[in-house]
Amino acid sequence: MIVAHVRGHHTRPEELDEHARASWLGRIDPRAKIIGVVVFVVAAALLTRTELILASLSLAVAFAAMSQVPYRHLARMYLGALPFILVASASVALFAGLERGFDMWARTSSCVIALLVLASGTETFELFSGLRRLGVPKLVSTLLMLTYKYVLILGDELARMKTARRARGFKGGRSILDRRSLDVIGNTAGMVFVRASARADDGYEGLRSRGFRSDMKLMRAPRLRAGDIAFVAWFACVSSILAAVQLGGVG
Amino acid sequence: MKVLDIEGVSFTYEDGTPALKGVSLSIDEGEKVAVVGPNGAGKSTFLHLIAGFRTPFEGSLKVMGERLEERTADQVRRHIGLLFQDPDDQIFMPTVEEDVAFGPVNLGLDRVEDRVIQALRCTSIEDLAKRKPHRLSHGMKKRVAIAGVLAMEPELLLLDEPTAGLDPRSRSDLIELLRNMKRTMLMATHDLEAAAEIVDRVVLLNGSVVFEGGLSELMSKDDALERAGLEPPQIARLFKRLGAMGYGPQGVPVTLDQGVAEAVRVIEREKGRSRGRND
Repeated sequence: MIVAHVRGHHTRPEELDEHARASWLGRIDPRAKIIGVVVFVVAAALLTRTELILASLSLAVAFAAMSQVPYRHLARMYLGALPFILVASASVALFAGLERGFDMWARTSSCVIALLVLASGTETFELFSGLRRLGVPKLVSTLLMLTYKYVLILGDELARMKTARRARGFKGGRSILDRRSLDVIGNTAGMVFVRASARADDGYEGLRSRGFRSDMKLMRAPRLRAGDIAFVAWFACVSSILAAVQLGGVG
Repeated sequence: MKVLDIEGVSFTYEDGTPALKGVSLSIDEGEKVAVVGPNGAGKSTFLHLIAGFRTPFEGSLKVMGERLEERTADQVRRHIGLLFQDPDDQIFMPTVEEDVAFGPVNLGLDRVEDRVIQALRCTSIEDLAKRKPHRLSHGMKKRVAIAGVLAMEPELLLLDEPTAGLDPRSRSDLIELLRNMKRTMLMATHDLEAAAEIVDRVVLLNGSVVFEGGLSELMSKDDALERAGLEPPQIARLFKRLGAMGYGPQGVPVTLDQGVAEAVRVIEREKGRSRGRND
């Protein structure tokens, strides 16, 4: 997953990175992964026939199973997205019936699962540099990278503050109306932003001091290999078959 | 040739707090200088100002003859390699070699791979080239950060508390590395023992320059040290105490080698005196 090249102490993402590197998916060029998965997601999003939607869901689950990304991590990420999927599905079910609502859930889930596998099976830097090499404007890819770095710093500072609070006997969470707890949590939030902002400034100066302007450049430009092309071809093929059947050309 | 030439530089933070007042300093090519002082003396601010991150300021500052102003900061920074106190602020790329190459690639320098190999060799971390920087120890991260700076081949190295947070072994390894490095450098530190091993000259900063000269000379200025809250190196304290007991050295030694030489001189002198008394 999105990683730790920026900060060093996020144990779980680091573990996931180790998985990503060791797995066959981690060795695929990020550009191939992005193209393959996006093609699949676009095709899956256009499906309306229930059997095809279930087929795309099965393919997404099979992709997740083969990816060697830890199941628990994928399940946790999926559960995070589930409330949004359910709200959308429930809305469709209310206005168009249960079957359409089910289709909505299955269709969205197949897209989300495929994207989660992509994000979890690729190191962050590779993912963003892959986007850049696919022609995403440098402003966007750099903004993504810096935003991600800032989010990690924010999380890091929050973890430190929480540890410091616990070390000094703060328990909190007794009641939402506990004024002291609210004060402490409010102050913590303020301090986290102040400290994270200072560290983000240091990090940015660190980049500037080494000639960074607005684009992340690589030492060596990676080349697509046969395995990368096969990956894209497989997804393109599967997506074409789904689209062809959907459009009535086959079956 | 003057690598750094600073005349009467003053800087005030946005909230109105004065940080530096009338600071002047000049560093020749190949010279190693330490800025020492207590916490809050403005050492880090001074380095960041030289690197063009604290503008505007009053006074004149030139690096390799180029005047630093807001609009020239990027150009002037090409002459400078800044090592941050916390290497995590500086390390960004997914592998050590990619991180070391980050600066040269950004600056469009030639022979990037050669520069990387050379910088890794210079910092003795060739075997870490393919490793993930965030998995390394703090000491190794410092080396990666130094290699990243060296790969840019800057004319002036600015080191912000290079020995902070290192265990004794990593600290002494880093001191040796910096001592043997043939570079013009300015380091901010309150580790006088480390400064004694590395630099030729010290500047005592406490908002403004309080003292400038040799470290041995600074050791004899008890008032200045006291006001700046600085602890002299152990070896200097030992010889000061010996001096108070009547075994005064010629100067105050600040490194182990100087201490050994001074001890031998004192012993020989005392032997001569005792022989004289016996005769």
